Amino acid sequence: MPVDTLSTRLTGLRGFYRAGYQSVLAYRADLLFGIVGLVIQATLTVVVWRVLFTGHDQVAGIGSATAVAYAVLAACLQAVVMPWQFSSLPLRVMRGQIGVDMIRPRSLISQNLAQAGGTMVGRLPLGAAGLVTGLALGAVKAPHSVLDLLVSVVSMALGVANILTINLLVSMTAFWTLEIGGIMILYRFGSAFLSGALIPLWFMPEWLQPIISWLPFQAQIYAPLSIWFGTRHGADLVGTLALQLAWVMVLFLLLQLVWRRAVHRVVVLGG
Amino acid sequence: MAEQVKTLSPIREDLRASRILLRAGWRAAMSYRISFLSAILGGMVLQGTQLLFIGVLLAKFNVIDGWRLNDIAFLFGMRLAAHAFYVVPFGALLSIDQAIQQGDVDRYLLRPAGTYLQVITRYAPLMALGDALLGFGAVAVFAPQASVDWTPGKVVFLIAALVGGGLVETGMQTFLAGLSFRMTSTMSLRILADDTITRFSGYPLTMFSRWGFLSLTFIFPMAFIAYLPATVLLGRTDDLPIPAWLAYLSPAGGPVVFAIGLVFFNRMIRSYTSPGS
Repeated sequence: MPVDTLSTRLTGLRGFYRAGYQSVLAYRADLLFGIVGLVIQATLTVVVWRVLFTGHDQVAGIGSATAVAYAVLAACLQAVVMPWQFSSLPLRVMRGQIGVDMIRPRSLISQNLAQAGGTMVGRLPLGAAGLVTGLALGAVKAPHSVLDLLVSVVSMALGVANILTINLLVSMTAFWTLEIGGIMILYRFGSAFLSGALIPLWFMPEWLQPIISWLPFQAQIYAPLSIWFGTRHGADLVGTLALQLAWVMVLFLLLQLVWRRAVHRVVVLGG
Repeated sequence: MAEQVKTLSPIREDLRASRILLRAGWRAAMSYRISFLSAILGGMVLQGTQLLFIGVLLAKFNVIDGWRLNDIAFLFGMRLAAHAFYVVPFGALLSIDQAIQQGDVDRYLLRPAGTYLQVITRYAPLMALGDALLGFGAVAVFAPQASVDWTPGKVVFLIAALVGGGLVETGMQTFLAGLSFRMTSTMSLRILADDTITRFSGYPLTMFSRWGFLSLTFIFPMAFIAYLPATVLLGRTDDLPIPAWLAYLSPAGGPVVFAIGLVFFNRMIRSYTSPGS
């Protein structure tokens, strides 16, 4: 009788992870255009921010170099961690394949998380292309200290955990309604805006900043990048990480709850 | 009946076919109320984020490349409304890859209507209504605030520019869709074009330097969508590194780009090989 150890569990999930990144790499042309796209968009983004800053030394305490570097890094990070197709779950629910998924010996949640993680790894070349473009344009800034670098990497990992969990949570809407196109777009663009992927919180209106800073989305992109650029110190830094960790735990708990309710709703068409 | 159809001219025949196909598509799409509303909301959010983006930035920075918020908002509004003229009638073009992969094009080739016509009437792009609502709303709100002395002539020019801008986008997407007959998937290429237009065609394009501007005018003709006609309305044609008459003629760019796209699309159909046996 097979023993259910951590290593056998991981072996089972490795297949999903591999399926995730292969789904990106299998379509060479798509990947290529994605890379070309990021090069073009990183270039145009740099121009937009540089032009915005002409005539300003600092806006909201932030200088041009930091703002430009933020825009480039956020675009790279967004390209990797926020894919347009972030989950195959809704499609699998619609086609009834979810029935097969549910009788697999690994939980549906871990199957999906492993696959989504694989997709992100497969999309790393996109981020790299954007980064190289940014470097070539002299638009990327390294962190002030090794500590800032290390902490921001930890913060990025928490951000990725946050995105993976929320994405799956949103995808689970598919158990309640098949018409999720509008909801998905609302979520995609809402989270892109609230996460700081488009505009850092520094430049948001004053009344909006406190609201956004407590929402889970800012923990995805803004939190790690604000650490990268050394705008957080001491208690603020620790508080940022603690809030990120708390959100991951809350979201994961929520995911378990939603999943438990969803299980009872599954009716696979066609028996 | 068959004889009667035969006597119609090809154009009238196509118009009749498109009327029938469009009615069927929209009726199918409208029959689900919730999805109807959520799709419209989705369309508004998709484009609304761009307005939000530029609004938040200009609230902090006041000016971009010499353009104030009111004129930038008008430029963005023009681009949104022009986009509606592409996406409402032609939005189904997005599904060209599926039409080919699922073998639908086999059927289209057999039917007595143009392939292109049948591709764009595959389904009714509901989300486009959200785009249209937001786009026309934005023009209605921002046009009076822009630094333009509105005369009847300028209003006519604006309308021509919006329709023309929609046709420019349609032409570019039609051209790229034509590549689908040769390549397995052109989705990412077409999304890239769409995304670049969405994000950047609402800026004063001369800010991307001379060469950037020229390539966005003559290679990837995004400038014709909103920026060139906007310089005419705002009296800013002096900013352009090209003759002003070209900006005055910019609404005519729509039919030209569309014709090029359509000719290319129809030529590429010849290299179509059915995915089935």
